[in-house]
Amino acid sequence: MKTLKVFGSLVKDAFLEVTHGSKSYHIWMAVLSFIMLFGMYNYSIQLEEGLSATGMTDRVSWGLYISNFTFLVGVAAAAVMLVLPAYVLKNIDFKQAVLIGEGLAVSALLMCLAFVVADMGGPARLWHMIPIIGVFNFPNSMLAWDVIVLNGYLFINITIPLYILIMRYQGKTPNPKIYIPGVFISVFWAVGIHMVTAFLYQGLQARPFWNNALLGPRFLASAFAAGPALIIIVLAIIRKFTAFKVPDNTIKKISMIVTVAAQINLIMLISELFKEFYAPTHHSISAVYLFFGIGDKTALLPWIWTSISLNVFATVALTFHKVRSNLKLLYVLCGMLFVAIWIEKGFGLIVPGFIPGPWGKIAEYTPSLVEISVTLGIWAMGAFIFTVLAKTGIAIELGQLVYKKKK
Amino acid sequence: MTTKLVVKTITIVICLFAMSCKHSDEHKYHTVIDKIEAESLNYDAVTVSSETFNETINTVKVSEDGYEFLIPERKSQIASYNCTECHTQPIEKLKQDQVGEKAAHWNIKIEHAGLETMNCATCHTSNNMDELHSLTNSPIDFNLSYKLCSQCHQQEFKDWKGGAHGKQLGGWAPPRLSNTCVNCHNPHKPAFEKRWPVRFNTTVEQERK
Amino acid sequence: MSETNKKWYSLNLNQSKKSDSCGCGNNEGSCSEEKPKDGFDQIMDVSMSRRSAFKKITAGLVIGAGAVSTACSVVSGDESKEKSGIEWDEYFKGNYKLMTDEDKNKTVDRLTRSYELRTGKNLSMSSKDAEEDVLFGYAFNISKCQGYMDCVNACVEENNQDRSTEMQYIRIHEMEDGKGFNFEESDDNYYHEVPAENHFYMGTQCFHCDNPPCVEVCPVQATWKEKDGIVVIDYDWCIGCRYCMAACPYDGRRFNWKTPEVPEQEVNKKQHYLGNRLRKKGVMEKCTFCIQRTREGQNPACVEACPTGSRTFGNLLDPKSNIRWILENKKVFRLKEDLGTEPKFWYYMD
Repeated sequence: MKTLKVFGSLVKDAFLEVTHGSKSYHIWMAVLSFIMLFGMYNYSIQLEEGLSATGMTDRVSWGLYISNFTFLVGVAAAAVMLVLPAYVLKNIDFKQAVLIGEGLAVSALLMCLAFVVADMGGPARLWHMIPIIGVFNFPNSMLAWDVIVLNGYLFINITIPLYILIMRYQGKTPNPKIYIPGVFISVFWAVGIHMVTAFLYQGLQARPFWNNALLGPRFLASAFAAGPALIIIVLAIIRKFTAFKVPDNTIKKISMIVTVAAQINLIMLISELFKEFYAPTHHSISAVYLFFGIGDKTALLPWIWTSISLNVFATVALTFHKVRSNLKLLYVLCGMLFVAIWIEKGFGLIVPGFIPGPWGKIAEYTPSLVEISVTLGIWAMGAFIFTVLAKTGIAIELGQLVYKKKK
Repeated sequence: MTTKLVVKTITIVICLFAMSCKHSDEHKYHTVIDKIEAESLNYDAVTVSSETFNETINTVKVSEDGYEFLIPERKSQIASYNCTECHTQPIEKLKQDQVGEKAAHWNIKIEHAGLETMNCATCHTSNNMDELHSLTNSPIDFNLSYKLCSQCHQQEFKDWKGGAHGKQLGGWAPPRLSNTCVNCHNPHKPAFEKRWPVRFNTTVEQERK
Repeated sequence: MSETNKKWYSLNLNQSKKSDSCGCGNNEGSCSEEKPKDGFDQIMDVSMSRRSAFKKITAGLVIGAGAVSTACSVVSGDESKEKSGIEWDEYFKGNYKLMTDEDKNKTVDRLTRSYELRTGKNLSMSSKDAEEDVLFGYAFNISKCQGYMDCVNACVEENNQDRSTEMQYIRIHEMEDGKGFNFEESDDNYYHEVPAENHFYMGTQCFHCDNPPCVEVCPVQATWKEKDGIVVIDYDWCIGCRYCMAACPYDGRRFNWKTPEVPEQEVNKKQHYLGNRLRKKGVMEKCTFCIQRTREGQNPACVEACPTGSRTFGNLLDPKSNIRWILENKKVFRLKEDLGTEPKFWYYMD
């Protein structure tokens, strides 16, 4: 009963907190709201017309939505990997990063779910997936696994920070015996969501481009590069605009993680390229299409080569300690890496899987305006949720938001 | 305490994986051929029949080398059978009258093997137009004209008897009713003709542009 | 066959494909390069009052929030009440695979009644189960097929496939002699006199695998293999995630990207719940071996339409069936056998 009261008061206080802020904060939220509304409007078009409002066809039947979904699962997973050193290894540096990281994980997960819903042909029938009232094809379907692990992960990532924040809100110290097991689970779970999402593609014998054993590990490596890279950028912004103190040292330590992960990712990329092009088989056509195009079908070329050059450049630059220590340069490099991996793991992974089709036919994919608008809307929604979470979290951490007992 | 927990977790995980393995009845055969062989051992009969779909077709029974099935009856389908209603005289006689007037069946042009191999009289019996005859002059009924074709087309005949050549009419369910040679092939010009496909998909063309 | 209102039949018989400048098969040369408008353009082009724009946005908000407005509206009149009652029951019905016979009959009754309310016409819908001692299989003679595509048209008409997107389950691939089964270089959308010199023809469709990857991956078991080997979809249970489409190595599945359109007079009214009944947008569909025909003992429409006898359909468990004779006596093969999918669709040559 008491916890409920505290929670109610927290919600009230948090509402007050997020509705008040500087002028730039209000502009930021207004812009996000506008983009979200625009996205929703476009989604209503898609609902009315069906998925023919998107650029997808029978040939390329997954597009921008699933690409973003795949990428964001990685972001969600990687954000939480920072939790481990912070809570268990008692590495104080990370602690501020962790709260931000979990907030990022929650918003990334909500975006993932939104992208999946946006991609459904019959979103109204999604209740068929709910166990007991629906039918769940577990354990055969990897998508069923994915639904379970993503929702489980969302639950863990909401409860742990919520517990910590509620304790802080009341001015108490969170009890490690309660949250440490949760932290452990969430870390293993993070690897789990990523591997399961990779298995979603990896398990399809119909698509040789995905059906390769390196896909899962490569997902992990690229996620550990892109996720923390995003955290560094977010921390930099928070440092600038709020009173929240993030020491340089934290950012530098995270940049270490980014660097190592990016290096491993690059090695795996080379291994993949070697396999596809040293002894090209019938199954290498997708890779040929992705990297060189087939005839006049070259839609992905500018994207993938932008991605590869950004990736290589950022990874090489990050390898040098001196470059990495320069925070301004670090932010730019992290941004480059983030964009590179978004392309590579987004439509650089999804679209070529469908090209060529089972009978060798090629139909290229270009997202429609509706699709792009909905995608932007969902990203805006993610940013909106994250801003709300981070602002509340920071206010509690800074002691600005404290539970007042009723007099 | 922790080891116990670990052991428990591992057991659960193993159980989950074991569940996901394919142990159900569905997968007790290695290949679909194994399945067919095993399950057809006790084949009895099916309750459906294709008879209702072929009600309008008169049939003739074929019994060749142990294969028994039905083919469409032919004579009633030939517009002016009996032939003898017009052709009262043997072919040789008809030939002589050709000068000056249009021959009967002038529009039939034989494109079946070469003329040095086949002409009208190779199949049609000169002194009995209502019948066909084999290479050795034994009579063949119009309804059983496959006997004539099978003299040369041995491989096709074999496939037809088995069911690999010639369309099955109506349904898959027994009794089997298969087209006979002349239902698909014009005996005077047995090759299929060139023509345009009945469909062109413009959407697919657009997609692949 | 009314040729005028069939988009896919508007062809110029005297013009070969090569001389066709745009290759879209339109005889008037009116196929402009203009890209078809997507939904965004279509709606954004329309000048809209502020109020209706607001309405749309609100609708977007409501639907976006996941609200389902089915039978909630206040309606007057018995028919519309009945209609919304049917819609409500249909929305909340279960997976067909798990229904009792009574439930199956009920939903079939609802669907036929709903069609009657909508169009005033009656249709007959079956929910007949698989027969004992039956396992369906298919054989295709690549020496015989001439590439006329009569099967494709028959299939479209029989199975009520969307005319507006020219959906077709069957594809006929034109292959060049001497190149083997080279699908990359084959043409499955040819338009010239057939059979072309030095070419052979090979049809593909759903192969009704005995170990179907599409069934494995479906998260809600909306697709499954029936006892007689037919892989079917419950169109009302499918959520439209298209995972099965990605999992199929044979391009056997189709998605309704928009509401399918079939002119009322062309609707095949002999239907089966798992077969050719009318679909809605956002669900998968595929070849069902014409379940509405084959469960009754009839041949699928493609077999019936084929003028060359290249197509054989039958019961694999009947040792005396044609298909068994082919499997035992001809040199048969299947496509992509290395994937372990065990298709029940064999090819053979004379």
